[in-house]
Amino acid sequence: MNLSWLDSRLARRGAIARIARTALGVTAVDAFLAERPSGFAAEPLPSGTNIITLFMRGAMSHLDTFDPKPGREEQGETGVIQTKTPGIVFGESMKKLAGMSDRLAILRAVTTQTGAHEQGTYLMRTSYPQINSIRHPAFGAWALHAAGRHPGDLPGYVLVGNGNDHPGSGFLDPALSPVPVADPKAGLENTMRPAYLTEENFERRLSLAEKVDRDFKASYGGNQIEAYDRMYAEAVRLLGSVDLEAFDLSKEPESVRDRYGAGVVGKGCLLARRLVESGVRVVEVEVNGWDMHRDLFEELPTKASALDKALATLLDDLSDRGLLGTTLVVLATEFGRTPKINENAGRDHHPAVFSCVLAGAGVKGGVVHGASDERGHSPDSGAVSVADFNTTVAAAAGLPYEKEFHAPNGRPFKIGGGGTPVREVLA
Amino acid sequence: MPTIAPPRPLLVALLVAAAWAVVAPSAGLAAEAKKPGGKKARAAVPFRLPAAVRDAPDGASFAVAPIDRTARDDVRAAAARIDALLAERHARDGVVPPPSLSDSQFLRRAYLDLGGRIPTHDEASAFLASTDPDKRAALVDSLLESPDWVSRFYNVWADTLRLTERPQKNLWSEAYLDWVKRSIAANRPYDEWVHDMLTADGKLWENPAVGYQLRDQGMPLPYVDNTVRVFLGTQIGCAQCHNHPFDAWTQHQFYELAAFTAGTRSGTGGKPEKPVRKEMRKGARADTADATAKNVRALIAESRKRANQNGTKVNNAFTQFLQANGTVVNFRDRDLKLPHDYQYDDAKPEEGVAPHVLWGEVPQEARSLDGRAQFAAWVTSRDNPQFARTIANRMWKLCFGVGLVEPIDDFRPDNPPSHPELMDHLAAEMLRLDFDLREFFRIVVSTEAWQRRAIPYDPTTGEAFSFAAPSLRRQSAEQLWDSILTLVAHDPWAYERPTGEAFAAAVNLDLSRKNPGLDAAQAAFERYEDSQSPRKTRRQTMQTYGYKGQLLARASELPTPLPLGHFLRQFGQGDRETIDGNRTVATVPQILAMFNGPITHAMLERGSTVVDELAEHDPPQAVDVIFLSVLSRLPDEEDRQLALGEIRSAADRRTGCGNLIWALLNTREFLFIQ
Repeated sequence: MNLSWLDSRLARRGAIARIARTALGVTAVDAFLAERPSGFAAEPLPSGTNIITLFMRGAMSHLDTFDPKPGREEQGETGVIQTKTPGIVFGESMKKLAGMSDRLAILRAVTTQTGAHEQGTYLMRTSYPQINSIRHPAFGAWALHAAGRHPGDLPGYVLVGNGNDHPGSGFLDPALSPVPVADPKAGLENTMRPAYLTEENFERRLSLAEKVDRDFKASYGGNQIEAYDRMYAEAVRLLGSVDLEAFDLSKEPESVRDRYGAGVVGKGCLLARRLVESGVRVVEVEVNGWDMHRDLFEELPTKASALDKALATLLDDLSDRGLLGTTLVVLATEFGRTPKINENAGRDHHPAVFSCVLAGAGVKGGVVHGASDERGHSPDSGAVSVADFNTTVAAAAGLPYEKEFHAPNGRPFKIGGGGTPVREVLA
Repeated sequence: MPTIAPPRPLLVALLVAAAWAVVAPSAGLAAEAKKPGGKKARAAVPFRLPAAVRDAPDGASFAVAPIDRTARDDVRAAAARIDALLAERHARDGVVPPPSLSDSQFLRRAYLDLGGRIPTHDEASAFLASTDPDKRAALVDSLLESPDWVSRFYNVWADTLRLTERPQKNLWSEAYLDWVKRSIAANRPYDEWVHDMLTADGKLWENPAVGYQLRDQGMPLPYVDNTVRVFLGTQIGCAQCHNHPFDAWTQHQFYELAAFTAGTRSGTGGKPEKPVRKEMRKGARADTADATAKNVRALIAESRKRANQNGTKVNNAFTQFLQANGTVVNFRDRDLKLPHDYQYDDAKPEEGVAPHVLWGEVPQEARSLDGRAQFAAWVTSRDNPQFARTIANRMWKLCFGVGLVEPIDDFRPDNPPSHPELMDHLAAEMLRLDFDLREFFRIVVSTEAWQRRAIPYDPTTGEAFSFAAPSLRRQSAEQLWDSILTLVAHDPWAYERPTGEAFAAAVNLDLSRKNPGLDAAQAAFERYEDSQSPRKTRRQTMQTYGYKGQLLARASELPTPLPLGHFLRQFGQGDRETIDGNRTVATVPQILAMFNGPITHAMLERGSTVVDELAEHDPPQAVDVIFLSVLSRLPDEEDRQLALGEIRSAADRRTGCGNLIWALLNTREFLFIQ
């Protein structure tokens, strides 16, 4: 048996471990070399469910995607397409997903309080309203906190996007915050040392930095400094990973890349699949550009088709690789858009009702839960709050959504925000 | 334009740098390390820093309003009043303030907060060597009249005002961005400056201040929401859709306020709007705008027709050029109607709303003016307490890292300032200074409080901050970029964004009178493309000022918004879509960029400021040079031994120095402002 791959892996790991030990100080090394690196929970859940979330930023119109109102004036220029599920139609751009509606659970009466992007996005990501006196953890950070990350050197949580306004790990361990990958095509940048920089020199540099910094760190503690210490340890650990190739989309055949599509959503989904395959537990893909206040009927078809292609391919691919049973796929957005078409041929913000979609692990396919009224304006039946929705996601992922966790200030929080899971869509 | 002599430290730097350029054509520190096998590494072929940034600096192209140095006693007295207010409160709360800053700590904080970058080696040694008892005040004054201050303050406003070159495809905002920068350089009073933005008429390059209203073009309700948030520190956005259960503002009040500015127009498309109010008042621009719009529509139609005849595609860039030239902001009073789904008892859906302010009243002298002018007068009035309080709190936060009211755009009765007496005093100061923001800044940084060692503070604990000193802040993305640039470029101002005048000259096509005809319009478009179009000029710019794909220019001069993967975005620069979108959260890619990114390695290249400085010195002097250049302080004895040990035991001196520079850059001490 050829074990050279294992040798090189261990060798590289050994070298990096040595660097960490000599250069990064004791706390960092503890996190680094511990049996379970920081972020592992006491009791990892047996299911080991992965989560891939596609977040449509700017607020995806429900009427033009998963909740059309054919024949109504509010529908505008968007046609509809029959799905595999009897009596259920999608917006016409959702061709491929219409053909696999038996795998999808559609929630058509999600409802929220705020029509402001920042607050809406924060609420959807954390399950709690944004307030000044606390930073709540994002769902992915909760998932890692409760269920742990997978073994290996890759991060537990990757965000495809910039992450500037991402709540990250909130009041949890900074190491649980997502590693942002700004451009999925470029992957994770700056992971190669310049050719002139030997491993030995790299080690000397880190060690030197640590020593010079001792006085400063002795004088100033605090979360921010601590967070940077953690990130340095994570970065060194990642540089030692033999799985870094997971971030490199050029390793995929062109035919596969074509199937996912060229835009951020296509590349993001392909990257998500590669990362999950390599042991990243949570991937969130941000897709910007849904805030269509004007010319919606010109802009939406391109955007929606790209989403349709990417998500359908992702589900197929996960299924073919036997990963769909252990990977939950979530399609979410911060709120919906007005049924009334404005004077610029666009739709404005509409928190009263919108649609989200689930598929994969823990989810029952072919289900539509809840309905909006005839205009797509308000919930008619099966209304689901953001907390209910996220609690459903937590339930599908096998996370302890009823358990109370305490923030450093003593306040209790629940994964998903203490809502009621929608049993109808759970497998 | 009057030219102003550069302040002395700059002049010294200029001369010294010029001298070095002659005597020290040294090799880079990165270039010649060997691989273990003894073969020269591939990177041994050095990437060269562009000549443009290696040249002796000739500074920024714009003049900065001079500081009144005779006012120092007044500044000190004003600072003392702030300290007295704080001291009273600290005594009551039992707060023991941290120790004062050492000279080198002060030096570094002053450069970062007032100049947006760390000092150069020369600036640092000159300040530390100076025996002038008034040297701190002197440094503050010279920084506040330098282009560095303009750059720093511009970055702050770019984040707040969401400055981008193309808010929409047909909005070409370069001249507006330049106008903001020049308004800062001229130190225009803030109230005047804001009033201009809220009332400006015309094309972007005739009257660049229109860029503010155009930022939310076609979105009259978000425009009002954003304006009230930024300038009055008040969130009324929720009331756009519904009465908020816990908020003071009703949807009706929101619409009443929005009714003032509902008649702002700018577009070339769409149907002409009929003013519906009886006593119709219309700005002088309205006729010009109508004529321009007509010509733009005719030219676009003609270009489509010609494309059809020739079987070619319509040139979208040309269409946008026409639309950009047809964007003329103008105003005529127009009624605003409530939404069709208005659900409260105080009015009916689709009923017209009369303009009404949220509090106080429209100033007497503005009451005969049109709605937009009334709104602007109310917002910026000295009698509108929120206008002064909001900007005072913003400026205070810029200096201390925390606002007296947080979030800074959420003043409410149940979200009072943590230090009410100080808040009142700062707002009164703002009025006393006639909204001279730079003078306000000068006073705040002259306080004892600002000159004490930083206090680590976590706002999410819910505890109020003491303001006994600034909070410990990570450098902003822009401060970090500009600091690294200081270590790289002798001339960080080699590249500047185009001036409004240059852009206007290249882009302007007068369509307000007769239609110039398609051929003339196309010729004008081509002239613009060749001289100013970012699309065409980018390559040339990168060739002249680029290094490994990075444009070596001050953060304020870079394109905006930058792509997500850019160093500045990785370190949290705002996306220019979110008001005050800057963040300082730690991420793994930031560390990878510090380890291996091109910009951190640029400083180790031949011709970088720090490498050139080193060429003149042997260890142990080299160690001092490196510490002063990177951390703005001399090494203590332990540091020195450590550093010398490193340099002696490295394969060669260059490698050792390179390792030391890199190591200092990767300390928390470098990243944070202590």
